[in-house]
Amino acid sequence: MALFAPPPMYADPTMAADKQHAFNPYSENGGSILAIAGADFTVIAGDTRQSEGYSIQTRYARKVWQLTDRCVIATNGFAADGNNFVKRIKQRLEWYEHAHQKQMSIKAIARLTQTMLYGNRFFPYFAYVILGGIDEDGTGAVYSFDPIGSYEREACRAAGAAQSLIQPFLDNQIYFRNQTPAPGAEPFVPGRLPLSTVLGLVIDSFTSATEREIAVGDGLELYVVMKKGRTTDDLVGSDNLIKNMQVQELGALGEGGSERTFLVSLPLKRD
Amino acid sequence: MNQLHSFQAVPSTRNAFDAYSTLPEPPRPQSTHAPRAHTQQPIVTGTSVLGIKYEGGVMLAADNLASYGSLARFKDIQRLHPLGDNTCLAVAGDMSDFQYMTKLLDATLRADRSVSLTDTHPPFSPQNIYTYLSNLYYARRSKVNPLWNAILVGGWDKEKKESFLAYVDLLGTTYSAPTLATGIGAHIAQPLLREAYEAKAGVDGKGPLLTGQEAEELLDTCMKVLFYRDARSLNKYQIATISNDGVKISDSKSSETEWGFAEGLRGYGPQTQ
Amino acid sequence: MGSPMEYNGGSVVAMVGKDCVAIATDLRLGQQSIGVAYNFDKVVAVNDKLYYGLPGLATDVYSLREHLRFRVNMYRMKEEREITPKTFTHLVSSSLYEKRFGPWFIEPVVAGLPQPTELDPHPKPFISTMDTIGCITTPKDFAVAGTAADKLYGAAEGLWEPDLEPDDLFETISQTLLNAVDRDCLSGWGAIVHVITQDKVVTRRLRSRMD
Repeated sequence: MALFAPPPMYADPTMAADKQHAFNPYSENGGSILAIAGADFTVIAGDTRQSEGYSIQTRYARKVWQLTDRCVIATNGFAADGNNFVKRIKQRLEWYEHAHQKQMSIKAIARLTQTMLYGNRFFPYFAYVILGGIDEDGTGAVYSFDPIGSYEREACRAAGAAQSLIQPFLDNQIYFRNQTPAPGAEPFVPGRLPLSTVLGLVIDSFTSATEREIAVGDGLELYVVMKKGRTTDDLVGSDNLIKNMQVQELGALGEGGSERTFLVSLPLKRD
Repeated sequence: MNQLHSFQAVPSTRNAFDAYSTLPEPPRPQSTHAPRAHTQQPIVTGTSVLGIKYEGGVMLAADNLASYGSLARFKDIQRLHPLGDNTCLAVAGDMSDFQYMTKLLDATLRADRSVSLTDTHPPFSPQNIYTYLSNLYYARRSKVNPLWNAILVGGWDKEKKESFLAYVDLLGTTYSAPTLATGIGAHIAQPLLREAYEAKAGVDGKGPLLTGQEAEELLDTCMKVLFYRDARSLNKYQIATISNDGVKISDSKSSETEWGFAEGLRGYGPQTQ
Repeated sequence: MGSPMEYNGGSVVAMVGKDCVAIATDLRLGQQSIGVAYNFDKVVAVNDKLYYGLPGLATDVYSLREHLRFRVNMYRMKEEREITPKTFTHLVSSSLYEKRFGPWFIEPVVAGLPQPTELDPHPKPFISTMDTIGCITTPKDFAVAGTAADKLYGAAEGLWEPDLEPDDLFETISQTLLNAVDRDCLSGWGAIVHVITQDKVVTRRLRSRMD
């Protein structure tokens, strides 16, 4: 038997030197984000739960941030990378404002985001990014990115733990996939739904995701960026408020642009 | 034959240096082709730390043990570290990284104090210290050379007149909540802390907070439960109270424990029936 | 080779309506990423009030289907009556549990309308689903299984509502299935929907994206 027994570990001098504990610099903090563009507004939303595995770290951590008067960013994946990516982007936007006396357009922020993500190609930010806001023409815009910077402008996008639950629903309700207009009716055009419909879809998406995905829940933060001059009655009108929903207008960050950003918060189930 | 000899279906966790697997994470072989990494593992470690907001500030708790794997190596280590007048850290994980980090922070605070003799500016707030720590820990993880800790920062913000409690760890992960616990405490103590906190403040946290006495009793209970179930804990711990009056770190204390039930347990240990 | 549950692909969904149930499946049969056939019906009728779907490993679909056909025929002959949805669910469950340590790679979905009896003149529509070793759940709303299960959950959770009439139930289950499988590489390639009511079963074949 001894002939076939493995030699003791200490007999192999290379073993001890080779051995190291592998440090994994990444984690996954759950949650989900979502953005939908309208004709003259964009809604960008994220839940507020932060988790690791089966543990809820906190019931309130932000995933969505206002960048400029017409652009909001949401990140999902590894929270530390997401937070630090947003920090760096905010710094670049401040430098831009000092150099050019104006805020960066969402189109330019999108390209900047790609450059910054791809700059970390070989040690990526583990962050799925969605930008939402108003473009230079005054229309709602959504840009979505993968962690190394591939990006695309879309009418809507879901990302994160509940992406697979929410995106098919959005395909159906925003892109009207597998639906045909009634005979004689107007053809469907994505990105033209009224704000009240979009708000309803976002809230339904997150309550549905909360029901079936354990990494989603606790609270919902929903940013609405509106084109300048647009009426706000469909958001702040009292009959539009659902139970426990709070609406607050965020003040202007820069000068000139009169786009308005609102923060809508409401609770989600905590189980 | 030699090929056969070097093949092991199940990697052994033992070696001559660590014959009884007392180190927290037995080292594993790594590919020799991988780029040289500064990675390490925690050696002398502290177990979980706890934190809770109460009506007048924040309380933190940590026991006095620094373990070397399963060996209870140092039994009089203080893991609560005051910084300035109204901030305190509770640190779990590698104790040498903890001491390095506090040395760094103390030097920074000392430098700031010397500047403030000629220049009047507000002292570091708990948020300032927390941001510094978050950036330090994220920067070190991004160099793949982490400081192996999980830290709770408790504080009282004198400007805003509000309490501060937040977490940062070796990955640079950050978050804040009215009750916090690291490591095994996140599984065992955090549910107890949340239950007691929400019983008074409500799920929205808008109700009244626990009083200082209630908070301390709650932490005592949690430290006792942890001592019963966490094999790397010690029944000797301290509580830091951070309020408008500053940071107060208690003397070491211990919980009353009851082990009579162990007599009746069957199916574990040496007894045969 | 990856998981047997993802080898052939395919998904099934069932939904409860007002005095009706519906069950639907996609038609794809694949070998991992290669599509092989677009006529692979995973839903079988036990009788005109009871249907079930078997998404999972195709070879086990055939074996289990034959096994269940045998068991149901034996039940019919011995009992001289049709099997109820609830009893059938337990039959499927015990068939799966029999292979507890070398399971059929199938997650069945059952949908049926129980026959009215004197004791229970207005029986409730019934759906159920199981894991691969026969652990039963009997949802009040909808049941999903297969490679698009997570997408089906999202779509169904958003589209389904209580007490749908047969026509509306058909629309709901069809939209749920189509939009879910369109986001799943391993499901799709056409679909079949059955809507079961007390007086008839309406079966429709859906055209869908073929990519």
